[in-house]
Amino acid sequence: MMEMLQVSKKKTGVFLAAALLLWMVLMPHTVKAAGGMSMSTDYPGITMKAGDTATFSLYFTNSEETGMDVTLEAEDLPEGWSGYFKGSNSEVSSVHVAANQAREDSPALSYSLTLPGDAEEGTYQINLKADGGLGNTATLPLTVRVAERESGQGNFTAEYPEQQGASGTNFSFSTTLVNNGVDSANYSLSAKAPEGWQVTFTPSGESTQVASLPVDSGSSQGITVAVIPSEKVEKGEYTINCTAVSASETLNLELKVTITGTYGVILTTPTGNLSLSAYAKEETPVTLSIQNTGNVDLENLQLSASASTDWNVRFDESTIDVLEAGATKEITAYVQPSEDAIIGDYVTAIIIQNDQASSEADFRVSVKNHTTWGVVAVAIIVVLCIGLGAIIRKYGRR
Amino acid sequence: MTRTEKADAAPAKREPEEHKVRYHSMAALYRKEMSDHITSKRFIIILILVMVTTIASLYGMISGISDALESSSDYIFLKMYTTGGNSIPSYVSFIALIGPFIGLMLGFDAINSERNNGTLNRLVSQPIYRDSVIIGKFLAGASLVAIMVISTGVLIGTAGFLKIGILPSGEELVRVVVYLLYTIVYICFWLAMSMLFSVVCRHSATSALASIALWIFCAIFMSLLASIIANAAYPVDNQYNAMFNSLKNYNCELYLNRCSPYYLYSEAVSTILNPSVRAVNAVTMSQMVGAISSYLSLGQSLLLVWPHLTGLLALTLAVFTVSYVKFMRQEIRGN
Repeated sequence: MMEMLQVSKKKTGVFLAAALLLWMVLMPHTVKAAGGMSMSTDYPGITMKAGDTATFSLYFTNSEETGMDVTLEAEDLPEGWSGYFKGSNSEVSSVHVAANQAREDSPALSYSLTLPGDAEEGTYQINLKADGGLGNTATLPLTVRVAERESGQGNFTAEYPEQQGASGTNFSFSTTLVNNGVDSANYSLSAKAPEGWQVTFTPSGESTQVASLPVDSGSSQGITVAVIPSEKVEKGEYTINCTAVSASETLNLELKVTITGTYGVILTTPTGNLSLSAYAKEETPVTLSIQNTGNVDLENLQLSASASTDWNVRFDESTIDVLEAGATKEITAYVQPSEDAIIGDYVTAIIIQNDQASSEADFRVSVKNHTTWGVVAVAIIVVLCIGLGAIIRKYGRR
Repeated sequence: MTRTEKADAAPAKREPEEHKVRYHSMAALYRKEMSDHITSKRFIIILILVMVTTIASLYGMISGISDALESSSDYIFLKMYTTGGNSIPSYVSFIALIGPFIGLMLGFDAINSERNNGTLNRLVSQPIYRDSVIIGKFLAGASLVAIMVISTGVLIGTAGFLKIGILPSGEELVRVVVYLLYTIVYICFWLAMSMLFSVVCRHSATSALASIALWIFCAIFMSLLASIIANAAYPVDNQYNAMFNSLKNYNCELYLNRCSPYYLYSEAVSTILNPSVRAVNAVTMSQMVGAISSYLSLGQSLLLVWPHLTGLLALTLAVFTVSYVKFMRQEIRGN
């Protein structure tokens, strides 16, 4: 029994020694140095204006034999400043740095820093810290100088300040009003347009028409300027002067509208009634009303008709030499159905046209029989009855 | 007319009295003739025939009207008269065919049966004017015709109204009234025609056969004859002839057909009861250029067929006048 115990003690000692030796061989070689991993950026010193946002690209290098997950942190941010780490379009809090990573292999990582609008002038330092654990830390100081805010002239611009269209077109200009001043300002808007035109201002994305609107310092406001030309506008080029006046500045915007000529003619009757009754082989007059609806005088207008076979349509004046813009002229047409037109309705088209414009009116022509034939019928019957009466008188007294 | 006890006596020579007597004697004959007709078996047979015809066409109309309304729902009230169904002809075509029969039945023995019975002799020996006899007989027949036509026409209209439930417009009503009046004239033509035969022929069997023969000829054979004559006068047997003659052929056939009162009546009725009919003659393509479908007003429809209306009325009056003259000049006591 004792022998057995001794043997077992001896065996235990041998086992422990072997295990220690094995641990010593297998234990990796650890280096306690802090600088295996480092973080850098291209321009660690930058000048910004209040309200601006700057982006710093960050690069990581690693001389260690192992990769690591690095926790990111920004320190010493002044009051009101904000910033975040950005990697592949999302905000990140840590980054993986591979073993033996060179600068070129660094993952796309950046730090976005936004200054508040009221950031005061001066030089500030913020520190970006990276902690990869096991003593692998790196600190990147960024020096930000907040420069003096420039107070500039605002501007009032249009995307397409010159537009063109036919009369009757309503124009719409997309304009932008920029306040570059230090303070937000209230701009009152006005326009100088030709007589009878309407100009309205509507902030982008809204439906309310405004006469004045506030614009914050350093920001811009889209304004839609709607221009409605007068009803009887003539062909030509027109200028609309838009002004935005604030307490400190006056901004001008010149809009140009070119009205092109339109040609239009309408053929109808004074009452609008496009039906008439006619008798075969007889002329029926119908008054036509011809109106120039364009903004240009129409010349050499020709009247013509498209009717059934052997029908006759003539006009007391088949050509109009000049019809002024907006003017109306009345002409009498004479519709004569053919001799063998059957009673009932026919359609007859009367057309007015020149090289620029044309109009057609379809008339419903009701061909009728004269009521005189009915009178003839009654007369025949009366004569027959008289004849019968005469015969009864002659023979009746037997 | 067998007894004439109602005839007024005391023939006065003065003019106003004469008129009064003429009126009284005619009124008495008219009343007697009416009562004779209404109580006769012949009239019962005609009445049954007419009623059966009307009810049959009513049945046809009710079964066929929904199909007719699908094509067009204008002038529904008029469609009730012109629509047939289940191979039953419409009321209009029934009346055009059967109507003459009523007139013939009422008139074919008006005069000759009286003469054969020897009652005409006694009749004219009464103190009445001789023309009262024939005028009274004609007016009595015409009144019965009017009663039958109007009652059946109203029956069709009211039964159709119950079935469809649409009130007729004023124009439709007037069209139906014109149609019924024209139908009365048409049947009166046949009444006058049969009375003419009864004046001319000595035996009532002869006059009955003659008038029925004329009726069948007009209703059936006239169109065949017209087509034969038209084809003989304007042949359309080959393409060359057809090109030149088809319009003349058609017109010739049309005008010959119009000699038949049956055709004249049918043409006029289809125009009166169908406002979309715009022409009764042949229409060429050039006339149809630019024409748009529309309905004619009642006045225009009537003006379109005024020769038909006048012609048939004139024919009726003429036939009656001829029979009147014949009757007045006949020797009665010689029998």
